[in-house]
Amino acid sequence: MTIYYEDIAVDDELPTIERTPTEDAAIDFFGRDNPTNPAFRDAEVGRKQGFGGALVPGNLKIAWLTQFVSSWAGPEASVRNLRVAFRRPDIAGRPLTLAGRVVDKRQEDGRNVIELEVVTLAEGEPSVRANVQVDVPSRG
Amino acid sequence: MTEPTESLIKDEHRAVIGQKGDPVKVVVSGDDARRMRDLLEDDDPRWADGTGIAPPYVLSGLAGGRPRGQVPQILPNGILTQTEWQFHKPFKIDEELEAVGQVFDIRDRLGGRYGYSILVMTGTEYYNSAGDLVASSIMTITQFDPAGLKR
Repeated sequence: MTIYYEDIAVDDELPTIERTPTEDAAIDFFGRDNPTNPAFRDAEVGRKQGFGGALVPGNLKIAWLTQFVSSWAGPEASVRNLRVAFRRPDIAGRPLTLAGRVVDKRQEDGRNVIELEVVTLAEGEPSVRANVQVDVPSRG
Repeated sequence: MTEPTESLIKDEHRAVIGQKGDPVKVVVSGDDARRMRDLLEDDDPRWADGTGIAPPYVLSGLAGGRPRGQVPQILPNGILTQTEWQFHKPFKIDEELEAVGQVFDIRDRLGGRYGYSILVMTGTEYYNSAGDLVASSIMTITQFDPAGLKR
């Protein structure tokens, strides 16, 4: 579904979604042949590195956040920029809730720019915070 | 781990700051895109058939182009703690991109969740065959010793 610039207001909230990362998801994301931290696919390695189990790759969470915003904005929109801060490591098997809110909208250089704050919540606490800029179509 | 009394960053480590790596070829294959799209439950029609425009997030899952070889491993473990991605132009499945990585900075960090740690900031730019900038990323990896991790 396409969402238009005129239909978006500051403080609009995105419908939340839930994702449960698994060790298999990390393998699927990077592909079996890509070099990654072994703690992404092995809980024991994650514990030896000082975490509570297998780590959820930050790049997987970036992809989830991008797709979360892209899915809300629709196929005529383009995610242009993401700034992401990883506040706490996430552990495989623990569900994450993705939530977001519109914080600004403006028209500049022929673009219809929407700024969002997006988070992943683990047990209700933000583990990742992101600012995402997306260009959306206008009805005009 | 006891916090060191002086920086573990040596001149040999600082020598890589500002150096650009050799260009690396990056191709987003149909298999890569399909695998990630399915995992993310992404039904965007722009990349549904797996032959046209690539979903931009696939670049974040590919190792190509990141300046891994240039980055000194000073402490045993590393975790991504900050990143920024900019997507300038769409790119296609099977399109050949050229990635150029660079180490921007290496610095100490005292205290915090990871105890004494080292922040390594790198960047990667992705160009298409016309030489246009397609995407760019900046990443901060926090290198740490698990012994210093605060639970």
